[in-house]
Amino acid sequence: MARMKFLLDSDRCIECNACVTACKNENEVPWGINRRRVVTLNDGKPGERSVSMACMHCTDAPCQAVCPVSCFYTTADAVVLHDKDLCIGCGYCFYACPFGAPQYPRIGNFGTRGKMDKCTFCAGGPQEDNSEAEFIQYGSNRLAQGKLPLCAEMCSTKALLAGDGEVIAQIYRERVVKRGYGSGAWGWRTAYRETVTI
Amino acid sequence: MSIRILLLFAALLAGTPAFAQQQPSGTPPLADELAIQALLQGNTVHGRVTIPDQRAANLIQPQGREWREFHNVTLAWVGGIAVVGMLVLLTAFYLIRGRIPIQGGRSGRTILRFDLFERTNHWMVASCFIVLALSGLNLTFGRHVLLPLIGPSAFTTVTEIGKYAHNFLAFPFTLGLLFMLLLWAKDNIPNGNDIRWLKAGGGLVGHGEPPSGRFNAGQKGIFWITVLGGALVAASGYMLIFPFFFTDIQGMQLSHMLHSIPAVLLIAVMLAHIYIGTIGMDGAVEAMTTGQVDLNWAKQHHNLWVEQELAKGRGATPPVRAKPTGGD
Amino acid sequence: MLIKRSEARAGKQRLAAAYAGLSSGGLDRRAFLKQAGVTGVGLSALGAIPLTTVRPAAAGPVNHAEPVTRIKNVCTHCSVGCTVTAEVQHGVWVGQEPSWDSPINRGTHCAKGASVRELVHGDRRLKYPMKLVGGQWQRMSWDQAMEEIGDKLMAVRQASGPDSVFLLGSAKYTNEASYLFRKFAAFWGTNNVDHQARICHSTTVAGVANTWGYGAMTNSYNDIRNAKTMIIMGGNPAEAHPVSLQHVLSGKEINRANMIVIDPRFTRTAAHATEYVRLRPGTDIPVIWGILWHIFQNGWEDKEFIRQRVYGMDEVRAEVAKWPPAEVERVSGVPGAQLRKVAELFATQKPSTLIWCMGATQKTVGTANVRAYSILLLATGNVGAAGTGANIFRGHTNVQGATDLGLDVTSLPLYYGLADGAWKHWARVWDVSYESMVARFDSKAMMETPGIPTTRYFDAVTLPKDQVEQRDNFKAMFVMGHGGNTVTRMPDAVKGLEKLDLLVVCDPHPTTFSVLSGRKDNTYLLPICTNFETDGSRTASNRSLQWGYKIVDPIFESKTDYEAMYRLCGALDRAAEKRNMPIRFQAEMFRNIEVKGQEPSPESILREINRGGWSTGYCGQSPERLKLHMQHQDKFDLVTLRAKADAPAEIANDFYGLPWPCWGTPEFRHPGTHILYNTNLAVKDGGGTFRARFGVERNGVSLLADGSYSKDSALTDGYPEFTIAVLKRLGWFEELTADELANIRRYFGENIDSVSWSTDLSGGIQRVAIAHGCIPFGNGKARANAWNLPDPIPVHREPIYTPRTDLIAQYPTLPDRRGFRLPHLGQSVQNRAKELAPNFPIILTSGRLVEYEGGGEETRSNRWLAELQQEMFVEINPADAASRNISDGQWVLVAGPEMPRDKWTKVKALVTERVGPGVAFMPFHFAGWFMQEDQRSKYPQGTDPIVLGESVNTVTTYGYDPVTFMQETKVTLCQIRAA
Repeated sequence: MARMKFLLDSDRCIECNACVTACKNENEVPWGINRRRVVTLNDGKPGERSVSMACMHCTDAPCQAVCPVSCFYTTADAVVLHDKDLCIGCGYCFYACPFGAPQYPRIGNFGTRGKMDKCTFCAGGPQEDNSEAEFIQYGSNRLAQGKLPLCAEMCSTKALLAGDGEVIAQIYRERVVKRGYGSGAWGWRTAYRETVTI
Repeated sequence: MSIRILLLFAALLAGTPAFAQQQPSGTPPLADELAIQALLQGNTVHGRVTIPDQRAANLIQPQGREWREFHNVTLAWVGGIAVVGMLVLLTAFYLIRGRIPIQGGRSGRTILRFDLFERTNHWMVASCFIVLALSGLNLTFGRHVLLPLIGPSAFTTVTEIGKYAHNFLAFPFTLGLLFMLLLWAKDNIPNGNDIRWLKAGGGLVGHGEPPSGRFNAGQKGIFWITVLGGALVAASGYMLIFPFFFTDIQGMQLSHMLHSIPAVLLIAVMLAHIYIGTIGMDGAVEAMTTGQVDLNWAKQHHNLWVEQELAKGRGATPPVRAKPTGGD
Repeated sequence: MLIKRSEARAGKQRLAAAYAGLSSGGLDRRAFLKQAGVTGVGLSALGAIPLTTVRPAAAGPVNHAEPVTRIKNVCTHCSVGCTVTAEVQHGVWVGQEPSWDSPINRGTHCAKGASVRELVHGDRRLKYPMKLVGGQWQRMSWDQAMEEIGDKLMAVRQASGPDSVFLLGSAKYTNEASYLFRKFAAFWGTNNVDHQARICHSTTVAGVANTWGYGAMTNSYNDIRNAKTMIIMGGNPAEAHPVSLQHVLSGKEINRANMIVIDPRFTRTAAHATEYVRLRPGTDIPVIWGILWHIFQNGWEDKEFIRQRVYGMDEVRAEVAKWPPAEVERVSGVPGAQLRKVAELFATQKPSTLIWCMGATQKTVGTANVRAYSILLLATGNVGAAGTGANIFRGHTNVQGATDLGLDVTSLPLYYGLADGAWKHWARVWDVSYESMVARFDSKAMMETPGIPTTRYFDAVTLPKDQVEQRDNFKAMFVMGHGGNTVTRMPDAVKGLEKLDLLVVCDPHPTTFSVLSGRKDNTYLLPICTNFETDGSRTASNRSLQWGYKIVDPIFESKTDYEAMYRLCGALDRAAEKRNMPIRFQAEMFRNIEVKGQEPSPESILREINRGGWSTGYCGQSPERLKLHMQHQDKFDLVTLRAKADAPAEIANDFYGLPWPCWGTPEFRHPGTHILYNTNLAVKDGGGTFRARFGVERNGVSLLADGSYSKDSALTDGYPEFTIAVLKRLGWFEELTADELANIRRYFGENIDSVSWSTDLSGGIQRVAIAHGCIPFGNGKARANAWNLPDPIPVHREPIYTPRTDLIAQYPTLPDRRGFRLPHLGQSVQNRAKELAPNFPIILTSGRLVEYEGGGEETRSNRWLAELQQEMFVEINPADAASRNISDGQWVLVAGPEMPRDKWTKVKALVTERVGPGVAFMPFHFAGWFMQEDQRSKYPQGTDPIVLGESVNTVTTYGYDPVTFMQETKVTLCQIRAA
């Protein structure tokens, strides 16, 4: 089975936010929930870089490790998903997540969080594949349709790659060799404890 | 902090493409996350986002790893040792020492130790604490203990109810603590007797309990641990109830640490308190049930207080006409 | 570790329904629709609307058990021309998929393109026609609205003449709607018809067309992949044209190309540059001349190219000599050494391309800027080959097409101009008599006089009547698809809007026009559908035409542009009849256009365009050919845009989208022209030469090319444009077929010598010329000296509002003059501005954000986009912020020198080094706040955009390009203070 990963080539990312709206479009993500976002480092200065970030579907995912109700699971494609019927909105996954991926709708009393929501790698959730119930809870299940996450498919400069880790690493590697520079696969060390060696 | 990071970035990233282009291909990638993290020395990788949620501006926060280590290892061990250890200790103590009897048996005369308001407040705090403790422990240990027993669905129901209970009961708990402070603080100011009491081991070990006032040194310890520890747990807890309202991600992680460690220690202390107030000592539990304790029990453990009360004319009451309330 | 869908979970009861509508800060659409379907919340007034227009609650996600229809259309935002692939089920647009086959976007989108589905579902759309009655919006029917509007327009016509109606069209029209609106203006009898190109690339069109023939992008986005050096000057395509960066960055990577960004602002584009040059806003010409100074100094210019193909370069040398590095640095702030490096790269590491946008064009010297840019390309021989060229990124989905099709105060469709020859040509195409067209105008003179452009419409309302050179002031304004915050001097615009007798706004959204002024009556809003709800072609920036198919039927009560115009014509007919006026519209205007019910067919409109579009090569792109291209998108090469070897015969050899000029009739099957003026290809394969547009000689110097010609040309030197007379002289006349000759004689009688390649409706002249390898428009030289312009050789002129008042004496703006029927008081204002400058020490410039577009009504109403930019802001340098005690994210007040005294706009501060010290930047997409007045309540209920904010154009000031009346949005002055 493939090991699905995201790879962001920050030498290509222009902060166009296509990934963000593509995600909203595909998964009908409500206002205030940002499964994916673009962060610009060093804004306005030479060396400025933008990085699109969402759940990286980590190896040995911290969210999964700290979840008090064990609502996370890893699919055969190594996508880290969670069961919203089990989630209690405690927020622990946000404390543990290195990438700030978990999102919580604000509901009820105080700032109480609702069920956690995050990037599913467009792989839906534990419901039946591509059922309405799955869509409403988790959004689209493109993986089951043989497609990849829409954020990466629609990335304007093809900076965001998604797919089998080996394949996208190879694409990135070739790109770096061709152009002669590359500032690394963002988040890989943290998420996968490896990096793309050129 | 952020300025320093930006400077680091500037140094690190400035002219990267132009610079790298002149190098032969195959140069190790510059400015990757590892290099940046090394320079950051544990701070977050922070940038600019257009959405209002400024938490999203944190690109990578490596501290999550440390928090995970804390939550899954440190807290589990500290909490486990504190709670289980205390249970073991108390069991051992019971087996060795047994129940501490009232010297000279019950006199049949009682004296009002805690009035209705004090008792009500105590039980409010106590019941809140029990729920808070259980739901809190469940968050830390439930997935290993309860989940396998009752299955994921029931466990989520229980834990979710626990979460709400935990959030709501935080408020009466804190209020009760405040009342306790107002009611009992003056009787819990340490004095010379406490040193003697402590030197003598409080009569729990060996024989002959040194004189003490309304509260002995042990009780004073419980009181201050409860009030101060409770305050710390409450304060950090409010940070967690209102996520990111007062602080950022690192503050949230710190809050959780400052909440959970004192909390498990408090639980351990409370286990001891419960033990000594119930099965550990004959005659103790009435203080918080009817409020009337046997005069002999009182003389045994709080002789100075008894003298004071009697001097004030609040004499001991015969059992027949014993009023259930301390309304006077 | 758990694996998906384990047995243990399958049977468990789900809570899905419990949070179906769960969200924070507002309903998501599903919840909205659910409520709309069940309780009619927010839509309770829509009783008359058929069910399908209000999406039923059942229309949830894609139902994978049922078939999905895939329909292709073109993104409605910028001009890159990204294909949008929609998935439709039961008439509902349920999903968007990557358009992998498109050679332009290859599956990708930007934030706007990836969210267009929301535009069509948008619950904040205008849902039915409305009018203001005593300051309150009232719903009305289409029929009633049309009758009232028709009657009021006719009343204005009767009292003040046709020129008192200002017709403002849209760059969001399809080609067919653009053409139809221009045709309507002609039939109404006015040249007062304009659209967004006035305020984006009108100066480009003027400057570039005056240099080498056509005013459009010479190459394409894809061709940038071939460039070895690129300069992006006055443009931020990373935000304005994100998908173009795919090609730019690929080129940068594949060729290890130099990517030089010259801009006052360190933009998201500059972040990827190999060299970033910061200049003072408004000093483009000094910088270009500074670059050329080094080029001439070092002999890096392409001497052979100049000799063969350029006229008047020596005069440029004389001007450039005035700009040694020290003077350039004194004026622009750019160090000489940096410009030397840029000059060397651009001139020696070829092919080089120059990319520009609004930073060049929206200036009082816009046309001159663009001319200077073009001259730099000519001097280095970087025109007419792969990887070179003026890659002019246009701004709206069809701003190129709308420009081509004449939504312009100076021309009939396809740049024929306004002279009687042009009118006669179009009268022939329209099958009406020339005399009948003259009769529709106030006079033949008015018919041939350029109209009043959109940048000055309010001046034409408020100025004394004797200063407006037409019968009367503007009394009515008919706006289609155009924002009200796109033009500078908004406080003045408010006065103009309030004085109008009639204001009609046709748009999917109410637009700023509906709330900006204090109008209480005689204001109509007509709901028009988006381009996704209609068929039609659009011309991308690279001149490729793409056919977009209707994805869903128009929602709510909205109608297509075609239908709205057709209905308007009918209403005008009835109003004219009622008033006993002889003028009629529907019958003559739609004589050769097929109308289904009330809806003219876009295919038949395009065929009419083909019949008349010879001058620009809009003659070969039949709807059938365009549809074939959309069907076989995957058969075109990514870099050359040419059909690949395995392409089916009916598109073989074609360039994608038949980029104009696509010569001859559709049957002639010209492939279109990917790269303009490309002598390396035969004309029949898309090659060409510079257009011989300016005569054959001037002052004894030939204007025809010298020894340069396109591949396979029978004529190996320059030649003039083709006419019957030229054919005769060359002995090629006999090659015209009998049918062609009959056609020519039918329209021109026996005296046909003057019939030219652009007026011959048979296409015979073009066919014969191309058969001999010659381009129909002649083989001329490009002009470094454009003697007909106010500055034949571009010279630096300080902006009207400049902080460098010390430079005004040496580099003053042009003297006061008149143009476009109005006074143009540049120098008077500059002299007064000099006094004001000390109170407004910060240069204010403006531009785009990636999330929004244009006036921003539709994008600010799109919740997926609006969430990403929730507040209007001003970028301010940390130094300026510190001296004003301003911190990042706080409220600040911004005022311009022409705003009413003590009035300020209120925006958020974004403290950043993107802008240099003394420069501030504001995005131009916001509206709905006007000098701190929140106008949200003035929108018709439920149609207010999610995000409102101050408009930058409340702050911007007077300043117009002398050639096109382009407004000055990029350099003015302001003051900023903490709120």
